[in-house]
Amino acid sequence: MPSHASKTLLIDADGVTVRLGNELAIDRVSLCIHTGEFIGLIGPNGAGKTTLLRALLGLVTPTAGRIERGKATYDYIPQRGATYSGITPLSVLEVAGLGSRGHKPAALQALQQVRMDAFAYNRFNELSGGQKQRVAIAKALAAGADVLILDEPTTGIDEPSQAAFYDILQSLQQQGITIIMVSHEVEAVLKLVTRVICLNRTILYDGPPEHFETDKYLPQLYTAQHRQLHHHHGAPHA
Amino acid sequence: MPELFNYDFMVRALLAGLLVAVTVPVMGSFLVARRYSLIADSLAHVSLAGVGAGLLLGAAPVALAIPVTALGAVLLEWLRQTRRLSGEVGLAILMSGGLALAVVFANLAKGANTDFSGYLFGSITTTTTADVVTLAVATVVVGTIITINYRALLHIAYDEDSARIAGYRVTFLNYLLAAMTAVMVVLSLRIVGGLLISALLVIPVVIASQWAGSFLRTIMLAVATAMLAVTGGLALAFYAGIAAGGAIVLTAIAMLIVAMIWKK
Repeated sequence: MPSHASKTLLIDADGVTVRLGNELAIDRVSLCIHTGEFIGLIGPNGAGKTTLLRALLGLVTPTAGRIERGKATYDYIPQRGATYSGITPLSVLEVAGLGSRGHKPAALQALQQVRMDAFAYNRFNELSGGQKQRVAIAKALAAGADVLILDEPTTGIDEPSQAAFYDILQSLQQQGITIIMVSHEVEAVLKLVTRVICLNRTILYDGPPEHFETDKYLPQLYTAQHRQLHHHHGAPHA
Repeated sequence: MPELFNYDFMVRALLAGLLVAVTVPVMGSFLVARRYSLIADSLAHVSLAGVGAGLLLGAAPVALAIPVTALGAVLLEWLRQTRRLSGEVGLAILMSGGLALAVVFANLAKGANTDFSGYLFGSITTTTTADVVTLAVATVVVGTIITINYRALLHIAYDEDSARIAGYRVTFLNYLLAAMTAVMVVLSLRIVGGLLISALLVIPVVIASQWAGSFLRTIMLAVATAMLAVTGGLALAFYAGIAAGGAIVLTAIAMLIVAMIWKK
């Protein structure tokens, strides 16, 4: 297990079970998340990853178990992100309380952090998928988020944009922001994160990426068909 | 002074139209942002059921339509939040159900059919001083509620989950916005009519969003556009002798076409 000597406990989940209708989405999941961690949450489709994220954020009430969240500002960036049609990235930050006249420098700085300041006055709906996700992160930063929870943020984004996106996440983590990210890009995640959680309704692995035995877990999680499908999903088309 | 202002009924019509033009696009901006603009259409159809019931029972149609429509709005929001039905399916069912009830009630009320068409297509020139005062009060109340909750409503409109995480009372505010939309839809029935009200809610916002900017700028532009459409439409109706509700909506659509060509 990773060591968290100088870290503060942020989220403490104990025996969390979530049923959605008749379906068991996650089963007795226990985990602790500390400040400054960069967690990659992996698992096949239907493994309960999104449910777990939503439960950690309080958007879904567990059927059993308990979740305690420490004092921090959380923000959630869903898979496809919000659609800010008709407004500019600068105005997207207005949603988080920035962007109005007095706050423009701070808003531009948040956009600069995600390398989107050059697009501040473009139309949000004309940006590429990767750029939209970067603006979503800027919005979270503008809202003062110390914990970013991202659900498959790079789905449908071409590889160079993915690399740029991961680069930004890494620099945010170095600035002390805690990141929890669901992703199917297992190889990229293993290079990026400080901790991997492998979920398939229950936690199969929770530890540092260097100890994650790809050969042991991946065949269990992704069938050949899944991998092939996923390969197609990952093809550049953004 | 243009000739149309020599008539009291036209002055009242203009005042009522401008009050609707201030309030409805403001709510429309939030509803369009959350991709829920069809709610006005559905609620308008439900409100027609309320009007029909009022005509049948001999009660004040608007007074009866307000609680009926507010109930419809709460039901729609409940269906959406509990995910019993997807948003658009709920809207479609309520829309056709509302109109079906309206037709049955209006048919049973027989002699009242002439009155009923005034609610379907608007009858702005029959606006009374009491209508104008009611609209003015509603505009102040709705304007105050939106101003107080502006940041929360903005957050919810674009990103409901994030608004919940930020601690806003999302469920309550969703019901509140739906109920306010219901009230404004009913009060606008005599202005543009139940079948045309969603045009004033959506078209000005779409025109405004051709000029990407801040959300507040979109709201202000949408209000200005709606005021222009109401004034232009009324003038057109007066001088060309055509139905005012239709003239207002057609003016708004013409403005949209011009805006789209301009921003092409």
